[in-house]
Amino acid sequence: MKPGLSGAKPDDISGFSRRDALRIFATQMAALALAGCSKPAEEIVPYVQMPEGLVPGEPLRFATAVPMSGYGLGVMGISVDGHPIKVEGNPRHPASLGATDVFAEAAVLSLYDPDRSRTPTMKGSIASWDAFLAALLLQLGKHDRNGGKGLRLLTGRVTSPTLLRQIDGLLARYPQAMWHVHEPIDDSLERDGTILAFGQALHVLPHLDKAEVMLCLDADPLGPGPSQIANARHWVEGRNPKSPSGFSRCYVAESRQTLTGIKADHRLALHPAGISEIAIAVANILGAGMPQPKLAPAAERFAKAAAQDLIARKGRALVLAGRTQRAEIHALAHWINAKLDAPVDFIAPFDRSSAHEPSAFAALADDLHAGRVETLVILDCNVGYDAPADLQIAAALDKVPFSVHLGLYADETAGICQWHLPQSHPFENWSDLRAADGTAAIVQPLIQPLYGTRSAHDLLTTLAGQDAASAYDLVRETWRSSAGASFEDWWRQTLHDGVVPGTAPRSVAAGTPRRPEVTSTKAQGDLTLVLSPDPSTWDGRFANNPWLQECPRPVSKEVWGNALSISSEDAKRLNLKTGDVARLSVKDRVVQTPVLVTAGCVPGVINLTLGYGRRNAGAIGTSIGTDAYGLRTSDALWTIDGVTIAATADRREILTTQNHVRLDGDARDLYPIRSLKDIAEAVEPDVTDRALPTFYPPVTPETYAWGMVIDTAACIGCNACVVACQAENNVSVVGPEEIARGRDMHWLRVDIYDHGAPADPKAGFQPVPCMQCENAPCEPVCPVAASVHDSEGLNAQVYNRCVGTRFCEANCPYKVRRFNFFGYADGQEYANLGADTLKAQRNPEVSTRQRGVMEKCTYCVQRISGARRTAKKEDRSIADGEVVTACQSACPTRAITFGDLNNPNSAAKNLKSDPRNYALLGHLDTRPRTTYLADLRNPNGALKEEHS
Amino acid sequence: MTKPLVAEFSDPDSLIGAALRLKREGHQLLDTFTPFRLPELDDILPLKPPRIRLSMLLGGLAMAGFAYFLQWYSSVIDYPLNVGGRPLNSWPVFLLVPFEVGMLAAALSGLAAFLWTCRLPRLYHPVFDTTDFARASQDRFFLLAAQTAEEERRASLRELLKQAGALAVREQGS
Amino acid sequence: MSVIASAPANPAHPWIAAEHANYSEVTALIADPVLLRPAGWRWWVALGVSGLFVLATVVAIYVLFTEGIGVWGVNSTVVWGYAIASYVWWIAIGSGGTLISAMLLITRQRWRASVNRFAETMTVFAVSISGLFPILHLGRPQYFYWLAPYPNTMLLWPQWRSALVWDFWAIVSYLLFSVLFLYIGLLPDLATMRDRATTVPRQVIYGALALGWRGSAHHWRCYETFQITLAALAVPLVVSVHSIVGLDFAASLMPGWQETIFPPYFVVGALFSGFASVAILTALVRWGLRLEAVITVHHFNAMAKILLLASIVMTCSYATEWFMAWYAGAAADRSLLLFLFTGSYAPLYWMQLFFNCLLPQALWFPSVRRNVLFVVVIAMGINIGMWLERILIIWNTLSHGYAVSMWRLFYPTLWDWMLLFGPIGLFVFFFLCFVRLVPAVPMNELRKLCREEHVA
Repeated sequence: MKPGLSGAKPDDISGFSRRDALRIFATQMAALALAGCSKPAEEIVPYVQMPEGLVPGEPLRFATAVPMSGYGLGVMGISVDGHPIKVEGNPRHPASLGATDVFAEAAVLSLYDPDRSRTPTMKGSIASWDAFLAALLLQLGKHDRNGGKGLRLLTGRVTSPTLLRQIDGLLARYPQAMWHVHEPIDDSLERDGTILAFGQALHVLPHLDKAEVMLCLDADPLGPGPSQIANARHWVEGRNPKSPSGFSRCYVAESRQTLTGIKADHRLALHPAGISEIAIAVANILGAGMPQPKLAPAAERFAKAAAQDLIARKGRALVLAGRTQRAEIHALAHWINAKLDAPVDFIAPFDRSSAHEPSAFAALADDLHAGRVETLVILDCNVGYDAPADLQIAAALDKVPFSVHLGLYADETAGICQWHLPQSHPFENWSDLRAADGTAAIVQPLIQPLYGTRSAHDLLTTLAGQDAASAYDLVRETWRSSAGASFEDWWRQTLHDGVVPGTAPRSVAAGTPRRPEVTSTKAQGDLTLVLSPDPSTWDGRFANNPWLQECPRPVSKEVWGNALSISSEDAKRLNLKTGDVARLSVKDRVVQTPVLVTAGCVPGVINLTLGYGRRNAGAIGTSIGTDAYGLRTSDALWTIDGVTIAATADRREILTTQNHVRLDGDARDLYPIRSLKDIAEAVEPDVTDRALPTFYPPVTPETYAWGMVIDTAACIGCNACVVACQAENNVSVVGPEEIARGRDMHWLRVDIYDHGAPADPKAGFQPVPCMQCENAPCEPVCPVAASVHDSEGLNAQVYNRCVGTRFCEANCPYKVRRFNFFGYADGQEYANLGADTLKAQRNPEVSTRQRGVMEKCTYCVQRISGARRTAKKEDRSIADGEVVTACQSACPTRAITFGDLNNPNSAAKNLKSDPRNYALLGHLDTRPRTTYLADLRNPNGALKEEHS
Repeated sequence: MTKPLVAEFSDPDSLIGAALRLKREGHQLLDTFTPFRLPELDDILPLKPPRIRLSMLLGGLAMAGFAYFLQWYSSVIDYPLNVGGRPLNSWPVFLLVPFEVGMLAAALSGLAAFLWTCRLPRLYHPVFDTTDFARASQDRFFLLAAQTAEEERRASLRELLKQAGALAVREQGS
Repeated sequence: MSVIASAPANPAHPWIAAEHANYSEVTALIADPVLLRPAGWRWWVALGVSGLFVLATVVAIYVLFTEGIGVWGVNSTVVWGYAIASYVWWIAIGSGGTLISAMLLITRQRWRASVNRFAETMTVFAVSISGLFPILHLGRPQYFYWLAPYPNTMLLWPQWRSALVWDFWAIVSYLLFSVLFLYIGLLPDLATMRDRATTVPRQVIYGALALGWRGSAHHWRCYETFQITLAALAVPLVVSVHSIVGLDFAASLMPGWQETIFPPYFVVGALFSGFASVAILTALVRWGLRLEAVITVHHFNAMAKILLLASIVMTCSYATEWFMAWYAGAAADRSLLLFLFTGSYAPLYWMQLFFNCLLPQALWFPSVRRNVLFVVVIAMGINIGMWLERILIIWNTLSHGYAVSMWRLFYPTLWDWMLLFGPIGLFVFFFLCFVRLVPAVPMNELRKLCREEHVA
């Protein structure tokens, strides 16, 4: 056969016959055809049958729950094309009520955290699950013989009925085994208080909505925590000036600046011991007849006024004691509440099974040291980091022959255990959780496990030697009994609602509390350290979450660290300035921390938050801030007396994103605070947005006119909106170095304004998104029309047109525009934030921004256009409340209202006519579409003079 | 045709004197070449005032008008946008760009007019071939006079230039 | 030659030092340094040093383009920094050159002859450099051309209401205009160079640039008309250009920027720093090219008087700012005023006032005005003071605006400093080349001057 054309020389082409030519063509065609039908080696699956309900690119919402130190928060997981991108509140869930907190918002990012542990390790070297199971079975073999002697299970707070059921199973199989619980931020003092008062451990459920007068004794119901959302919502419901039920009043005596203290009508900064004395004084006024403590005049007046108010509203008055208070004071609070017949419910604790209740962690520590522990299994609990210092846990764990740690990260505890097992993220496995009020919710996975991870349920199945039932089956098994006739329908409905029906708490009759014998104690030593949970990292478990690390503290606005708050008096006395590094020492324990001179601190009391100084958190959270656990002992969990503090030579810059602004004179127009009485008496409201004369032609949008109203009286500064905005709009994290250079990316900031004095702050919060000005100063200065108005009144930013002159931000009186000085999402990410896994979290509806481009709040324009599409399909106009911005949906107190100002019936439109409505910097005539309702307080006339 | 005469002087005043006498005696004074401007010559030489300024005015106005039109068309007709609630035709600020580009256009049309009236660029000119003419741009003052056909007129012209203090009198190009 | 070079100033004809200078001598005095005299080691050293600065500039720009604007000290609140300040500073110097040359031409100031050439050259270089900064300071400099109207697929236009678009056209127009003005002034001298050039390449290049200029009476007449008219246009052009630079700030609503006084006050500022720079250059050229003959102390005396006047006007402008801030009574403006004098940048502000208002008062004394060294020192002080003025306009307003919670300060980085000083070297580099290529002083005007002063 002749060579193919390829082999043919030019000169002999002439020699070809027609036949040859045809034959060659034929062979070439055949070759082509063959190439055409060759398949790739891998199996490829055509998208023939679309999974039910899955429309490509359409976001789907699944009801589930995220754990918050053991308690569940019911949320809606929004996932697009099978990967979760956002978390929103579940209106049906009592702990969420449709809102979220920073931790829930940030959960979705931790799912994709590149630092998550992906494989089992044995003494730090990579191992396989099979290797572990082999080793475990060997170990369990021993325990099968000795009935589980020396087998210990250590968990955090467990509220999951299924997990409790499994623990029961485990303990049933190994009677000698023990289950210990360690929760660094628990409510043990509160429990002890109920034991003192009622003789039994009870779970306390105060109803802030029913309380017209509330006295907080270092309690922070509005502060971060599992009940923050519910408390805040109920609190704000009781503070609606329009509601007939009246406007509640809040007295707060506290040893550090809390959110509750900032929102209070009367705040008194006191040493924890002094707060106890207030409790005693109030109890005495109610006829306790205890030895009256010596109170300072201010405290005296405060206690008297509060007590009178409480008594005046018997049945609608409430006293709450906080973590810094001794069990006796908690008990006393119960006694007072009983006297006031306060709106408090008591329910049986549900973080234990009916059969077993967990043993104390301290007991475990002793046994560890004594070498009585053979096998230790740690479920999702970081004792290597957050155990009280006096327990020497690291040393203790060395004595354990066989220790296992199951966790999301290979953290400090993994480092001191032989085995570390990667745990599935709550979005990756089936489970169930009880909310802080006991309501149960099913945790359903939003995504297949990204890595070879297992859940606590899987591990316990193995431990208990049950036949390998999947978590799914276990959870269904748990609830099968409580379902009615047809389980499947019940199951589907429950999953859909995200709440297990009929699990709402049933309050128990606690009986009348005994009045405890309380003696007022004086603090020894001149400095008392008050510890508190961190608003961003809680107890340290969220330390590797960049959103939370860069989320400004509500009061100090600090990011990427936890400085020691100290009063200006103490600072002066100890000759410390903000940023100086100080040595804190208690007995032989020492930590070093930068100090931050903070308003509202009590002289003699310094405050440090837990959850920092992580030694092995990951690329984001490792070795940031100060490890307060280093000073914490099991006998002094929250207040540590006799702390000595000494200045050191070096300084560390405190990274903040905003200034804590003290206002006086005209400047108070930035944040007006009005009292209920003034509102009632006011004939002509002094703050309203008046239309100033103008040369410009009136622009009347014929379509929609989007606008927003933010009620500063309702805002508790919890930052949920900030993180929600970040999640929704792919807002980049810039990292500590950039923050230090004065750069940040948050589209929405929560400013704090203070009308008081440093000693006695009278502060409030003001969330500041883009004002969407009608006469936007940013627009005419843009040379390329990248900043323009759209037909619905949005101040749009055209990212791909922006050349980055930054004139818009220079000319923005509100300074709400943010510039990509580097490619924060474009190749110059901080630390490991450029990792591919994180890209799965990005909201596909929102483009990520290039380096050199200005960006800003857009009223979540993608949500508006989504609603517009739906409305168009149904051939109607967008209804009021149909568009909910990310910040709005997150807000626990519903402080943010968004809607169409062209619609006379829209909620936003109505609020614009509220007498408290005012435009920020209205005198500049920028005509912002976002306006505010002035802060509103309800001070007690008797105490007024202190705060005027 | 006979070439014109080129007379070389050492100072402006003698050049001007010579020029005046030539004019008086009815000789045709063609041009002078001097190392700097001598306003006195304007009246002696038959020069018509240049039209440079008019063309600058027209060029400037035309450009300014176009610039304003461009702004108006782009922001009112072609791509109207609501920019900070400002009127589409924000005439007060639309006057700035026309002014700037108008000035530039005036200058450029001025340049064109200048080159046109001076018939420049013209890198070669016969007078350049005249001996010593290089100094016309430095320190010598040259005068160009037309020669007529009849002999005695030529002689008198040369005579006259000599008397007027010419350092040398040559035919152009020699 | 040497006779006139070393001759003392003569009160009878203050603008020419020589007792007797004929046309060929002044011509040689200016042309020979370019055509005959070798550069000399001083020139080479200067060129080398400025070359290093040029290198620094190039490196700084490379880093800026590869890393991004973030390498500068700008932050979310103070989004502008050195780039804008330097832009204003350079274009002010630029505005000075043409303004001076043109004004002196219109007012028929004879002493213009010696200084106008390098004043105009200074303008061209300064404006070219200033034109760099608006591009460098962009987040996405590769798209700077989006400010120009050109047919594009998105059918987009520039946003004509933006002061930056006005800037764009102002700079372009002003730069081209200045180049033209310089070239026209140069035309007869280029002819001289053509005729004096000794090597063929130079004859060809100068010849081509001279366009065949013959110095005929008709040429001269058109020339004068055109030049005077250009000068007449230059004055309003410069005023408008720097008014627009002032509008960059005035056409905003930030406290301390939104001030009607800004345009005129920026124009005076331009004249101020422009004259200061000319004074410095005059001294340098006089020393470098040994032009004591045609640049006399009287020149410095005259410039010093103008500096003094400008300084007084600047002081009044500052005072007006303070008064209006207080008198208008807006809280933000008053608080900004307080910040000026007592805030974080107060020391710099006091320094600015010293250099721009106080120091120039020394020029009341004739002895100081006639001392070249003193005049130069004061002029340098003025240039520092004027840069401080520009950076403080940006820093004070942006770091102390309406959003109190966002008040922040600006901390410059290495790259800020490199792009501040680098371009100065760039300017010197250009200028050194210029004095070796074209006559630093207009020879035709000197000859004219010789005649008018009756020294020829």
